[in-house]
Formats: sequence, C-alpha cells, structure tokens
Amino acid sequence: MRIDEAFDEFQRSVNEDVGQTRLARERRDLFKRALISEPDVTEAFGSGSLRRSTQLKPINDVDIIAVYDTTQHPDWGTAGLSAEDALDHARGQVNRLLGKTNGSHGNEVRLALPRNHAVKCFLDDPDDENGFTVDVMPALRQADGTLLIPEKLTQNWVPADPEHLIDLVADRQRDWEHFRPLVRVLKQWRHDVAVTGRIKSLVIEVLALDCMPTSGNRPSALRAFFTASAARVNERVKDPAELCGEIQPDLDYDGLQAALADAAELADRACAAAAAGETDQALRLWQEILGDSFPAPAAPTKPANPVTGAPALITGTPALITPRPIKDAPQG
Amino acid sequence: MLILVPHHAAATIRQAGPWGGMTLRGNHEDLAVIRGVSTRDGATFPVNTSPGQNLIAATGDVRASGYWYRVAPVLHVYWRQVSGRLGTRVPLSVFQEHLTSGYKKPGTTPYLALTYAPNLTDAFPDHNAPDIVAWRVGRDGAYPLNCLVEPSTTGISQIQDHWPVRDLQTAHVMLVGAGSIGSATAHALAGYGIGHLTLVDPDRLSWHNLVRHTTSRRHVGRSKVTALAEELTDLRPDTTVTPLVLDVIDDADRIRTLLPQSDLVLCTADGVAARRVTGHLARRAGIPAVMACVLQDGALGEILRLRPWPQHGCLTCRRQALAEHGGIDPEPALDAGYGTGTRHRPMTAVGPDLHLVAHLAAKTAIATLLERLGHPDQRLPGEHGLISLRRQPDCAPPFDLNRTGETRWLPATPPRPGCPTCETP
Ligand SMILES: [Zn+2]
Repeated sequence: MRIDEAFDEFQRSVNEDVGQTRLARERRDLFKRALISEPDVTEAFGSGSLRRSTQLKPINDVDIIAVYDTTQHPDWGTAGLSAEDALDHARGQVNRLLGKTNGSHGNEVRLALPRNHAVKCFLDDPDDENGFTVDVMPALRQADGTLLIPEKLTQNWVPADPEHLIDLVADRQRDWEHFRPLVRVLKQWRHDVAVTGRIKSLVIEVLALDCMPTSGNRPSALRAFFTASAARVNERVKDPAELCGEIQPDLDYDGLQAALADAAELADRACAAAAAGETDQALRLWQEILGDSFPAPAAPTKPANPVTGAPALITGTPALITPRPIKDAPQG
Repeated sequence: MLILVPHHAAATIRQAGPWGGMTLRGNHEDLAVIRGVSTRDGATFPVNTSPGQNLIAATGDVRASGYWYRVAPVLHVYWRQVSGRLGTRVPLSVFQEHLTSGYKKPGTTPYLALTYAPNLTDAFPDHNAPDIVAWRVGRDGAYPLNCLVEPSTTGISQIQDHWPVRDLQTAHVMLVGAGSIGSATAHALAGYGIGHLTLVDPDRLSWHNLVRHTTSRRHVGRSKVTALAEELTDLRPDTTVTPLVLDVIDDADRIRTLLPQSDLVLCTADGVAARRVTGHLARRAGIPAVMACVLQDGALGEILRLRPWPQHGCLTCRRQALAEHGGIDPEPALDAGYGTGTRHRPMTAVGPDLHLVAHLAAKTAIATLLERLGHPDQRLPGEHGLISLRRQPDCAPPFDLNRTGETRWLPATPPRPGCPTCETP
C-alpha cells in the first residue's frame, strides 16, 4: 500500500459518518428555526466543529449561538445575575419550543440544563455517555461585531468571536485541501495522548491553525505540525480572536508537549523512511503515531516491535531498522 | 583568459539576431568583462556590468572589441573537446562553417568572440556544454577561452530547493553587540538567508578591534554597526540590515519598542549587565534570546538559548543554578542593578575561536526559528551549548570538557521563585 492510500483509508475511518452528519445538521437546523422564530432572537447560527467542518465522529454534540435583541433585554450584558438570567431564559425557550412533552416546534429535548456558557440540551437519555446534545449559547452582538456571552460562574459576560475561528478555518481550507481532514486526524490523535485530564479539541484546532503548513503532502505537513507544535505549545494556546486568553488553562502542557515531541521524532523518521523507499517501515511508524486504525503494511514479513527492531545477534532475525549509511559525496 | 558575460549581455545575445559586435574591458590579469553589445543593424548599447566592475576600475584597463555569433550546436561540442587540450584550436573553416551568418575575418591581431548555440541541450543532451562560450579568433584558427555567464538569479534563492529560504527571508533577528563575536554572527545569519537584521551597538571600530573583528581596516573610526551593515549589504544583498548606534542598557526603552517586531534577539554584547538587560527585554517581549560569549579567557565558548517558556529560567536563574552547583564563579555584577557593574574585560581569545562561537550562535538562532516553523531537522540537543576552544584541565562540571573541539549541550533550568524576569509582572 502506498503512503497516500494509507492516509486516505485512515481518513475514512476518522471522518464523520455521512448519515450521522446529516442527522446532526437536521437537528441543528431544527434548533435554529425554532429559536429564530422567537421575537427577541435576532440571529441563530451554528458554531463549533460542525460549522467549521472539523468534527470528529461520532458527532454527538452541536453548538448553536442565539443572539438576543439588546433592546428587549436591556439589563443583560453587565456583571451580576443577568448572565444566569440569560441562560435561564434560553432554557425556558428551548423547553417551550422543543420540549419532550409539549414543544411547539418539536419534541426533541428531554432535558435542558444551564451550564457555564450555554444551555446543554439532551436529546437522548442524559445518562447515555454517547447521547446527542445541543449546546445553545445565548449571546449579545456588540458594536464591533464580536459577541458577549454569559459566564455563570463569574457572574459576568465575556467577549467572544466564534465567527473569527470559522473564517480562519475556512480560509485555510481554501488554501490547502488537506487542512480540515488533518485537523480531524489530530483531534482523533489527541484521544490517545498520555495526559492528565483531557485535551480540548479547540486546543488542537488552534494549534493546527498556527502550526500546520499551507501546502505539501500530508506526511510532511504532519511532520511539520508536530515539530512546530512541540515548540509552540510551550507558549500556551490562546484564543485566536485574542479575546478569551488561554483556551485551557488547566491543560497538562507537559504531557501534550512530550506527546508532540515524540510524534515529531517518529514522523521525521517516517518521512525519511518513505523518502528512502522503505514504505512498509514508513507505514509502521505512522501507525505508531496515529494508532491501530492506520493501515498496517500489507504483508508483514518481519516480526513485531517494528521501531526498536529485534537484536539480530540474539534472535537471529535482522533488525528492522538498520542505520542509514551516509553518502560519500563531499561538497566544497 | 576569462571573459565575464553579465546577465544583461547574455540575455541580449540570446534574444537578438544572428550576430553583432561587442566591446570589452580587460585588465592585466587576463580578465575581461563585456561592457557593450550591438546587434547586426543596431548601435552598441552599454551593459550593466555588476561583475568585474570594481576590479576593472581599480587596475589599468584595456579596451577590446569583438563579435558574437549564433552558431550550430555542434560547434560547442568542439569547444568542449578542444578546451581540454592545451594549445588546440578549431580550424577557421570549421568555425566559420557553423555560424549562421556574419563571419568576420581576423586581421593580424586576433579578436575575441562569443558564440551562442540555441537548443544545445536538445541536440547534445549528454555533452553538458554551455550555450554561450568564448573564443580567440586568429588567422591560425579559433582557440577556446573560458567564460563565465552571470545567471539570471543569484543570491540565496538559488538554494531554495535545499534550504527553507522563504521562511528565513521573512524572519527578523535583532543582534545586540557588533564586536568580534557579533560581527561574525551577523555574517553567519546573513549567510543563512535571514531577511531582516537589526544591529545594535554603540561602539566605534578601533585599531585594536581589527585582530578579531570581521570589518576591514578602512572602516576604523566608524560605528561598528554602520560599517558592518555596509559590508553585509555588499556581500549578502538578500539581507536587509538596519544599523542602530544604541546601547542596550542606556537605550533600553528604544530596544523595548523594537523587540516585538523581531522574531528573536541574539546577544553577543560583553558585560553581564548588557546580557541581563537583553534577556529580560526579550522575555517580556515573548521572543527567544540566544546569548553567545566566551568564558575563562576565551578557553570555552558558551551559547545560551533562553526561550520565554514557563518551565525555562532566565539568564540569571540559570547562572545561579550553575553557581549553586559549583560550576561557575558568579560574576560580581550578577546582583548589581541594570546599568551598573563591570562592563569590559580585555578580550583574550583569538578571532577564529570567537567566530566559531559566533557561527554556533547563529546556527542556534536559525535552528530555533526553523524548529518553531516545523523543520524537524533543526532541533537542537539542548538549551545551553558549551564548546571547548582551548582545553582547560580540572574544570568543574558542566565545563569539564576534555579536549579542544568537544561540545556539550545541557537542558534548561527552571525559573527560580521570585525572579523579577521569569515571573509575570
Ligand atoms: Zn529568572
């Protein structure tokens, strides 16, 4: 199998299921239609990875932003209880519009709970870990075009610009066809990274915006991404709209940095192997980086443990990686 | 005899008709450069001669004229064959036979000629002969001469298939200190293809600097940065050099406002205070700093990379960590405020040793920039590099390098609690 074929096959395993995406979009649109019918809602649009087309399967959450008319909620937008009020207001609307028992627009929502920034709407059993949820985030449009969103914990409203990220991702995709697919690959990769806690998918998406090249093939782009990120992540990952500061202050940066550095090393070796015509070796290395869903070489003729190789003297089998001799071609 | 063919002349010859005249100026080193070209029915117009200009202006020049001809490709294969044999020539009849038109018969003194063979590589793909070659045409035949044709592109872009030229051409490095290490660092950075270089140093070039500095004697008395900028611009036109006659301590406010435009600051200033100020300002600006110096009277070269990362301590923190382990004698000025303390020590190292450190510092800076841009082949083994220039026995670790030429890379040390540089203001 060629390297690019392996990447194609892996990509298919990472990409979202078409049927699932359609269902997610339908549910998103149902929420949008219902919310925009409200007299105090001026805009309702999707944000999050579904909107940016960087979603990973299974898609079980969708983000909706409902922008409210400030003239109808003059007390919103300032510190105090109005942040919580806005979330409660949105929850009431969702229940009235889409509640299980007597929603006027549908009967999708079993439970709606206000969280810190958004109302989490459960469309399946709330105890089902893979249940489908829709996050409805109330917001106010500011004069400069950015949004103010409620923050229940701090009893305040904070600036946000999710549309900026949507635009950035769309621009990068226009420049280079592999951008969105590789962001999905990296979001998948992060699940197997040995870190304390979890890595927010937005961290990976912003790192990709910062460190992914805008041209080239997928292996060399991933190699560059891992190399650059392993250095760049030490500078902390911040909101690209420069509004909210650090995206995940409690992130295990040491763990992520170590994982990126390891991946950079393996990717460098994978690219060198591919350049030397050692396709199987390259595939094994990519599998080590990206996990078992990455296609293995078609017919492994050598025993396992491909990276270190078996000590030839002890087992009698040749090492899988033999040191590459340097070319004798002096330059003046 | 060597004939230099400026690009402009070569382009004219390649585009114009079957033949024309040319004028040359030569010197007594058997070197000539084309100064003017004419086409068959046109007047001679001057050629912009960037190569050879100074050389010809400086020595007594000789005017010469000659002709250029469009020829059949096989003549260049003959040129290649006879070039390898001393005193061998192509008979005049053969030479003439392969011109498309315009043959000039040589008089008693031979004339110079260039021939241009279009489609040469199509006709003789394996012969590797140039499409423009030179001859001396006399009554006894046409002798091959060497000629150098200026390529259409020169400079750093020539190696862009093998080196990340584009990434570096957009990069901006500030170099603090334009002394012996600094001048060589500037040359090395430009050699790597850095697009923008800002030089900061308040000093003037003096006689005693010449033994270690890269700048030549004729600049004595001028600002080091101005002279260096001039020399670099001449040598490496792909690098834009901005000289600033400033002192990093006295003019810290100016430097502070300039740093955010830089991707990295490289400090080769002597004196602890200047290094500390540079490191502090770089960390505040959120950019990496690379510090280069020699220790122990020039026996040991040291490169410190200070990246503005939470787990990496600043210059002071690293020095104190070394001092606590008995590795280094703390400088008396280490605890002094900015702008105080000792400044200069007489430099005891030899120029090339300092330049070796300079080149390692430039390499460190370039690698730091390139790693951050995703080039895995530019990752360094650590943050603190040591190189033995003159081996000193029985030094405390980590300075216990055993032989001259040995290098060692150490990891970063963490910031120390309460450090005014490392802790966010
Ligand atoms: Zn410090």
